Amino acid sequence: MKRMRPAILLLLSLFLSILNQAVAIAASIEPYDSPVREEERTFRLLSPITETDPIQNEQPPLVVAQQKGSGKEDPAQERPDEQRGFNAEEMEGEAVLVADPLRPWNKAMFLFNDKLYFWVLKPVTLGYTYIAPEPLRMILNNFFDNLRAPGRFVNNLLQLKMKAAGNEFVRFVFNSTAGLGGLADAAKDLLHIQKSPADFGQTLGYYGIGHGFYLVWPMIGPSSPRDTVGYIGDRILYPLSFLSFTEISFGVSSVIFVIETVNETSFQIGDYEAFKEAAIDPYVSLRDAYFQNRKKAMEK
Amino acid sequence: MKKRLAGFLFILGMMFPLSVFSAVPLETVKGHVNRVFEVLRDPALKGESANKAKRGKIRSISEEMFDYTELSKRSLGQNWNKLNPDQQKEFIKLFKSLLEDAYADKITSYTDERVIFKKEIALSEKTVEVQTTVVTKTSEVPIDYRVIEKNGEWKVYDVVIEGVSLISNYRSQFREILANKPPETLLETLRKKVGKGPTR
Repeated sequence: MKRMRPAILLLLSLFLSILNQAVAIAASIEPYDSPVREEERTFRLLSPITETDPIQNEQPPLVVAQQKGSGKEDPAQERPDEQRGFNAEEMEGEAVLVADPLRPWNKAMFLFNDKLYFWVLKPVTLGYTYIAPEPLRMILNNFFDNLRAPGRFVNNLLQLKMKAAGNEFVRFVFNSTAGLGGLADAAKDLLHIQKSPADFGQTLGYYGIGHGFYLVWPMIGPSSPRDTVGYIGDRILYPLSFLSFTEISFGVSSVIFVIETVNETSFQIGDYEAFKEAAIDPYVSLRDAYFQNRKKAMEK
Repeated sequence: MKKRLAGFLFILGMMFPLSVFSAVPLETVKGHVNRVFEVLRDPALKGESANKAKRGKIRSISEEMFDYTELSKRSLGQNWNKLNPDQQKEFIKLFKSLLEDAYADKITSYTDERVIFKKEIALSEKTVEVQTTVVTKTSEVPIDYRVIEKNGEWKVYDVVIEGVSLISNYRSQFREILANKPPETLLETLRKKVGKGPTR
């Protein structure tokens, strides 16, 4: 069964990329047709979906009358910058538009996660921070991060980043031994080898599978069909997952997951609050930030 | 990323001048960051009561550091022309206030982070990207300042944190609001948000 997992993942990603195409086409169907939209749709049918695919569906299709006016401007916005009067460099690499056809669901999940943070995660984390001193939390952080090294190694390999893969291999071995089971990031401190982040969602993107559309999950947060498969892939490569299937009970592995999450959050208290304070529409802001960040991660 | 959304932070703190470049854009940004750091570490400004004074000083430094007009224009993008000159003026004022409020609090909470100025890359004739890394306890956050040259001075018009461009992110929010509503609505939203004042 374990050997079948990669095959299942590949099939799943293939299925999802087809699903992506279907949804993207469905999402592009709007009440009116301008010449530009026609072109976009043809383009999408002929080419694989990539990250920079300008699928735009941010306005709900109900607002037809107003959309007619604004719709013409929006495609123009993504056109060559001579029309806009700004330098081309302003738009370089940042305008990542991804469809949001499941907006009602996504918005609901966003609100759910928001409440979950303020009502559950934050209070629990603050309590945890009160009783657990920082050095201990740092050690735990190192421990969990070290466990993610095999995943980073495999994904760097799959993305043909050999040096990075080699680095992660050395880091894992060194940190697990000299770093006492991963409690210390000895590779960074003594060998000066930095982490090379790589996840399965990134790998899928490397092989041309696009995001598809925006998808928010409860607890996990912003994602996309591609990144969801990526997340599942990452969890499979996460050593504790093996244990949870064999030696540890589900209850214990859940507790470990909670500790991991709370510990990580303990270093991030304030980030979400600052983000919300700076945003005018936190939902849109988060969506945009997520895809920009993922794009940048892929370009590394 | 899924768990680590760093949000928008202007993280300024203790700085070791590890850069050997003497290029003007980088030095300019470095100079401003240094000055903010001095304010943050000023012993005379410690404590809650001094917070207001601290924020005031940081605000005046950021006025020199940032080109808010450029920032505002680029955040609205195509929609900039939807606003009449009076609205544009008000937008710049409100946007500036929003950014200052949102970040002044975050900045003042920083203590022992290090900023490493790495290098600068020319983006075009008049724009340069200054790349820095902020070293926090658990991670290294790449923060890039994009500066534009105007009247011989280099000013920041965009900040890119972990790959997320500030103006690009605001542009997506403004685009959404202005798609179906008139500019006055946007201004009203900004007025309300800024009017709430700093929450900490």
